[in-house]
Amino acid sequence: MARADCKILSSRFGRRDGHRLDVYRAEGGYTALAKALGGMGRDAVTAAVKDSGLRGRGGAGFPAGVKWGFVPKDAERVFFMVNADESEPGTFKDRYLLDYDPHLVLEGAAISSFAVGADLCFVYIRGEFGWLVERMEQAVAEAYAAGLLGKDILGSGYDLDVVVHKGAGAYICGEETGLINSITGTKGQPSIKPPFPAVSGFLGRPTIVNNVETVAAVPFIVNEGAAAYRAFGTEKSTGTKLWSVSGPVRRPGVYEVPLGIPFREFFAEHLGGMREGEELKAVIMGGSSVPVLTADEAMAVNLDYESLQEAGTMLGSGGMIVIPARCDMVELIQVLMHFYWDESCGQCTPCREGTGWLHKIVRRLRRGEGQAADLDLLEKVCDGMAGLTICPLADAAVMPMRSFLQKFRPEFEALVREPRPAGAATRWPRGEEVPHHA
Amino acid sequence: MPDDTRTVTLTIDGREIQVPAGTRLFDACTEARDGEQLPHFCYHPDLSVAGVCRLCQVEVEGMPKLTIACNTIVREGMVVSTRSEKVRRAAKQILEMHLINHPVDCPICDQAGECGLQDQYMEYGLYESEVGKADKVHKAKAEVIGPHVILDQERCVLCSRCVRFCDEVTKTGELGIFNRGDRAELGVYPGSRLDNGYSLNTVDICPVGALTSRDFRFQKRVWLLRSAPSVCPGCSTGCNVRVDHEGGRVYRLKPRRNDAVNGPWMCDKGRMTYRELHAENRLQQPLLRRDGELAAVDWPAFWDALRPRLAVGGAVLVDPAQTLEEIFLAGAVAGRFCDGRAWGGPAEARRGEGDDLLLSADRAPNRAGLAWFGLDELPAAALAAKLAETRGPVLVYGGDPAGADPALAAVLADRDVVYLGTHRNATAELAFAVAPLSAWAEREGVYVNKDGRLQAFRRAIAAPGLAREDWRFLADLLAALGDEDPPADMPSVRRRVAAALPRLGDIDLNVLPAAGAVPPAVGAAPGGKP
Repeated sequence: MARADCKILSSRFGRRDGHRLDVYRAEGGYTALAKALGGMGRDAVTAAVKDSGLRGRGGAGFPAGVKWGFVPKDAERVFFMVNADESEPGTFKDRYLLDYDPHLVLEGAAISSFAVGADLCFVYIRGEFGWLVERMEQAVAEAYAAGLLGKDILGSGYDLDVVVHKGAGAYICGEETGLINSITGTKGQPSIKPPFPAVSGFLGRPTIVNNVETVAAVPFIVNEGAAAYRAFGTEKSTGTKLWSVSGPVRRPGVYEVPLGIPFREFFAEHLGGMREGEELKAVIMGGSSVPVLTADEAMAVNLDYESLQEAGTMLGSGGMIVIPARCDMVELIQVLMHFYWDESCGQCTPCREGTGWLHKIVRRLRRGEGQAADLDLLEKVCDGMAGLTICPLADAAVMPMRSFLQKFRPEFEALVREPRPAGAATRWPRGEEVPHHA
Repeated sequence: MPDDTRTVTLTIDGREIQVPAGTRLFDACTEARDGEQLPHFCYHPDLSVAGVCRLCQVEVEGMPKLTIACNTIVREGMVVSTRSEKVRRAAKQILEMHLINHPVDCPICDQAGECGLQDQYMEYGLYESEVGKADKVHKAKAEVIGPHVILDQERCVLCSRCVRFCDEVTKTGELGIFNRGDRAELGVYPGSRLDNGYSLNTVDICPVGALTSRDFRFQKRVWLLRSAPSVCPGCSTGCNVRVDHEGGRVYRLKPRRNDAVNGPWMCDKGRMTYRELHAENRLQQPLLRRDGELAAVDWPAFWDALRPRLAVGGAVLVDPAQTLEEIFLAGAVAGRFCDGRAWGGPAEARRGEGDDLLLSADRAPNRAGLAWFGLDELPAAALAAKLAETRGPVLVYGGDPAGADPALAAVLADRDVVYLGTHRNATAELAFAVAPLSAWAEREGVYVNKDGRLQAFRRAIAAPGLAREDWRFLADLLAALGDEDPPADMPSVRRRVAAALPRLGDIDLNVLPAAGAVPPAVGAAPGGKP
């Protein structure tokens, strides 16, 4: 299949009527659900998803079929949750799916729920996406009215209820155990693992949480088969991926491309290169939580899980932030450190204290109050956070911090001054402040 | 919960150990390290696992990252390292994180000397601070959150032990952690107070100085305190406690773990019982009525006045707060003094509302002991009627029957009362002679709790003034009543008690186990299981 035909997820993007049930059905919608319920069966659906190599698109890239397989076979009741808490800075692909193709998400969610044996499915949408909650609720109502949800779906005997749940706007509720706690009504913060949600999640029952983009790929896999999905992408990074691209490129936006294409090609052909007068300095490939790549490093990678890992970064959510030469990397990291400080849930000490400390040190560097020792201190604080907490938020702050410091150290050093003589007034201008609410 | 039918063999720091399957790695490490616990703030064996302080990280062979021991269950063949460079480094880094926003106000903090942060800084820290004072996050200080507890937000390490205690043990849920990130704060829910009757346990389990006792606050540096193992006299549960004292003064009670009785907890009411020791109306000198008033005298004068009045005895009343030994001796006194006419009571005294945790509605620590010696507890009216039938002085040993019931007060007012007790109360005011005796922490003894468990407590401090230890006074009284062989020491008192109570079987009151002992059920074969 030619690259131009690669529209597994994005065929209705940009269309005014794509969200309507009649349009979706006219274009073959809900045939996969009918196929899954009408004879294919749970195990065959799970096997197809396993064989397709579909990996979680929320950030971790864990194989979806394998995750489904963790649900105990003798489970009394299972829940399924669609993670639409898209909040990784730089990422805006799930909102396209929810906005332009809610029925694709819903069909994928229904098939996935069927496959894991769930009778109740939640769609957890981040609080800031108010209009998308309405759009999804409308789609759910349409589907109920058409007998595509509810009791005895399509005469198959399978019952599924779908509840759209609006989050309250916390980044960490996008972490699956945080999401489950948020839906449960307890404080939106991650839980210690084990137990894993696939064994004990919502109300202590097996719960599978999948990203919007992950479930949206399921109808294609059921209809066309695992091999058709594997026809896209590389051997280990199969299928297509939505990239949400921001920054001063000629054509920013959301793109669906097969995994594995070279960044160089994607950058030139899809994004059209940098805008007039801009020069590429660096790229954050997978959302703000992954290590930054310099322009040279970026030009050498392919856009798949393995290639990006080899380059010392991650595919993450596919939130690609293109950074131009004029950008002050210390200012940028200050924005990010402010974000992680603000969003840390605060339960694990290394994250609670470390994110605040990193933010303070970067802030004082930008104010012109930093000292040479502060750069080593940043490294040290990162060491005391990485890999030591319940969830990956601490690592999510450490990865950009470390990579910015390592790859753009001169910009940090330029802000450092010698200790001022006792009693002397500060002559350095105060850095530009990033507004924050403390 | 550990499943003790199977054992698991694992290697910790090169040492192979066997533990029951299901054991938490944290506890297995404690065993392998000869009792030395891993650094920790949030883990508590009696609460759910939170896993938030991140301090108990250990290296498990085959796992790429360090892992917290508290949330890991032991597996067969596990190889664990708790002292590797990587582990120590992580502990140091995480400890530093705990301290960066801590006020380090140890000189004015009551927790100093028994503080997890201090202990672990000495073990893992010992670094120079790299945080400026101006960089610290500031939070509320000295917030009164309940009748007994005061909260300092800045000292809090957010371990959530207190929150889990209120959720899981008292199930009252007053506490929560509010806000997020480094603005996260412990607090009570709006409109709520930490007043669940067990609130001071949160102070015990707080590993730092965030929750402190309003009662103990600023009273004493903890390293000056000495401790005596004891049993709470507040009710018939008999929670095991530690009496912390210094210079003849008790400063606080802390629970002492006894899984057969109170686990690691005790109630707030019980903790405050120590205040009675230092009450203003403590009796410190013998008193004799002269010209209608009670006047302080010395012991010889007391005995000179009492001896002639002992010829014809009326009755002996014994309070259920006296020890097993004392009840026995009081019975012996009654035998010589008044043909054995001795009762407990009034039965209405020392009662209150109980709960389903530890506090018993029976507020006497040794009512069961009274029953073991066959001393009937009579209701006030019946007791008054019985007393009215007697002639001769009435020995009231402990309690305050006159204060408990007006009818009893009326009968006693009509009689010659000798009051043996600790506080100057309504009964003492009716007496013609008052003997000052020792309060609970000032003597040793054995209580029998509501489940028939014998529990010994030790003497913590000396009785005030001329007050005597009860058994010594009772021995003197026996001698005054003509006993030629009164007991000469406590062990001999206890041997006599054992001889008088066949139900004790093999139990030796002089060497009771730390957890106490339950005699075999009456009728069961000696040595049978309780």
